[in-house]
Amino acid sequence: MSSASSAVSLHCDDLTVRYGERVALSGVTLSAHAGEFLALAGPNGSGKTTLLRAVLGFLTPERGRVELFGRPSEGLSARERAQKVAWVPQMESPRDNVRLYDYVLYGRFPYHGPLDADSGADRAIARRVLAEVGLADRSQDGILSLSGGERQRATLARALAQTTPLLLLDEPTSHLDIAHQLDLLGRVRTLSQERSVSVVAAIHDLNLAARFADRIVVLSHGRLVADGPPGEILSDDLLARVWGISADLRRDPRSGAPYLIPQHLLSMSAPVPRERAGGPVHVVGGGGAASPILRILTEEGFLVSAGVLPLLDSDAEAAEALALPVAIEVPFAPLSDEARARNRSLLTAAQAIVVAPFAVGPSNLANLEDVRPFVRTTPTYLVRQPPIHDRDFCGGAAIGAYTALLDAGATEVADATELLRVLHARLKPLGTAA
Amino acid sequence: MAEALSPRPPVLGPLRLGLVAALILVVLLVVSPLLGSVAIPAQDVLQIVLHQISGGTLFPQACAGTPTPERLCGAYTIIVWQLVIPEVFLALIVGAALGISGGALQGIFRNPLADPFLLGISSGGTIGAAVLYVYRIEVADADVFLPIFAFLGAITTGLVILGVARGRFSSVETLLLAGVALANLLSAILSLLLLYNPIGSIQVTFWLLGGLGLATWTVDGIAFGAIVVLATLLTLHGRELNLIQLGNDVAQSAGVDARRVRLRVILLASMATAIAVAFTGIIGFVGLVSPHIVRRLGGSDYRIVLPGAAVVGAVFLLAARDISFVAFPGSVLPIGIFTALAGVPFFLYLLYRQRQASTMGGM
Repeated sequence: MSSASSAVSLHCDDLTVRYGERVALSGVTLSAHAGEFLALAGPNGSGKTTLLRAVLGFLTPERGRVELFGRPSEGLSARERAQKVAWVPQMESPRDNVRLYDYVLYGRFPYHGPLDADSGADRAIARRVLAEVGLADRSQDGILSLSGGERQRATLARALAQTTPLLLLDEPTSHLDIAHQLDLLGRVRTLSQERSVSVVAAIHDLNLAARFADRIVVLSHGRLVADGPPGEILSDDLLARVWGISADLRRDPRSGAPYLIPQHLLSMSAPVPRERAGGPVHVVGGGGAASPILRILTEEGFLVSAGVLPLLDSDAEAAEALALPVAIEVPFAPLSDEARARNRSLLTAAQAIVVAPFAVGPSNLANLEDVRPFVRTTPTYLVRQPPIHDRDFCGGAAIGAYTALLDAGATEVADATELLRVLHARLKPLGTAA
Repeated sequence: MAEALSPRPPVLGPLRLGLVAALILVVLLVVSPLLGSVAIPAQDVLQIVLHQISGGTLFPQACAGTPTPERLCGAYTIIVWQLVIPEVFLALIVGAALGISGGALQGIFRNPLADPFLLGISSGGTIGAAVLYVYRIEVADADVFLPIFAFLGAITTGLVILGVARGRFSSVETLLLAGVALANLLSAILSLLLLYNPIGSIQVTFWLLGGLGLATWTVDGIAFGAIVVLATLLTLHGRELNLIQLGNDVAQSAGVDARRVRLRVILLASMATAIAVAFTGIIGFVGLVSPHIVRRLGGSDYRIVLPGAAVVGAVFLLAARDISFVAFPGSVLPIGIFTALAGVPFFLYLLYRQRQASTMGGM
């Protein structure tokens, strides 16, 4: 906690905000320090955005106060505040096709009188921040011609042009794909370290928060429930209490940062079919090949499990959304013994096994091979289309493993419809769900 | 496909737009005095103007060397110098006032359809004028009191809108709707006034159609002074308006006191409109169209849009006046009719473009 000794940039003391009857923020006390990346986490409606808006002076707290660099926030003019704190909103929708370079220069507003023109220093800053966000080559293009990821970096550049020692970001990555999420947060992280800027970011995704933030502040129902380094505060108990989920907490062997693999919803009930059609059916997949099968089987009322799916993969997301038991592995890494063991235990429990038509590479070849011992005892169905020849990315090994499954007695099915037909025929209904 | 969707860059850019506007303005300034409800030979007009400008050193006899008889020359001089030229300048001044007022309101409301007409500021001016006519208030000089009444009517409406804008929770949409509702209310009140007081209705109707008939050098002087001040103050808000286009929150976070700017801009724009309405009645579409032309041709930076809309508005209104004289020689067609004739098709085109943009997902 070296940051604790450095200068306090933001201090909220007993901050309470009310929207009419509803208390949006209740007695929140926290500080952010120079050069520190602080993530605000919490479920939807927990008060993350409200906290940021209170710091920006958009709303007046009912109780408590906000101090920016030791000065009470409410005493600051809009211009003074804009010299201390800049804001990157979730999504900015400009109307006019302003040149990117001019748009970034808008960030220099707090330093201008009504009669001032943009100075050489302003232009130098605009060029610098455009380079920092990787948009130097687009500076002459219209803002509306930028892609979503570029647009968000442009907004970041406009905020950076304010050259403030404190930067607030409100879910800056929620509209971006995973690559752009990593890119944007990585840039912010670097900037905060290089320029000793203090960053406070509301971040939905706990894994992203844990990866980039020095500290995570967790809000729940407007209250601060945890505040500390990711490794210290993320716990099974916290996840269950605040988000209502159970998850596997692991540690990234390279960075040591904790990450979590969501397992079940605990508090929100997943849609339960009236009658259990049978199961469990274990689906082996990855890369999106299994998602339609997972959905259709769940809808039909089968108990479903899945594995081994790469974390953040669309199959894994589908499984998570359906609250299925699942074995998960870090993307692009060879399947770990741990993940394979979990997969095998799900395979053991299964009444039927479905092998989705997933792309097979060296890292997930084990997914096919691990099914082999179960074929003799458990009915196993291989979805035939697209053919294995087109999905073999390990020089024939996948074709070999697939053929071995067929030889051991697995049945090929053409598509999901045929799969449903054979599963209904094979598995006994389990009766009405509890 | 993405190529086709990406909005076009400004056609000319600020500098070339300024040059083109200046060029058109020069042509119009030469042509306009030649046009009027009374046909006066061009040579006489030229000599009268030069005579007056030079204080009599050039062409000591204004109509010397022209076929015009001496006794007509005096009348021509009065018509050209006391009526036509002030009218030409009033067209420029009022066009500028409406143009910049429309640009500022479109900016502050972040709505391309906002203009002084839509918000009821113009209607308020009409009510003021109507009260004077309808009740035939005994005043020493109607030419003096009419603008005063109209100004009061317009500025009162502006202040009502401002009152709504001061409300803590008033969103841009609320304000705009309040303005539209107010405009409708005012026109209902006007209809009621006219229904029960048919005597004043002819004058009021002429007022409703808008015209440059009140122009004198004094009127021009007052209006010019006021508009120069108001236009300058409005233009100084260009940076703020640029940021407000990104949303009030973003503007606020970048240092703009959004609420205060909103109050100031609405007040200044109302005053500019009130002055225009006071001297010319209701002239629609100049305020709506001018900022759009500037944005399309010169870009969307409000530091350019505001003065640009003033220049384009001035050129637009003077051109409308000239075209009305060319199209209907000898008649005094109220200029408001003409701006509407030119403005409505453009307005529809704008709506069509917007609809197209939204159906193409280019919101």
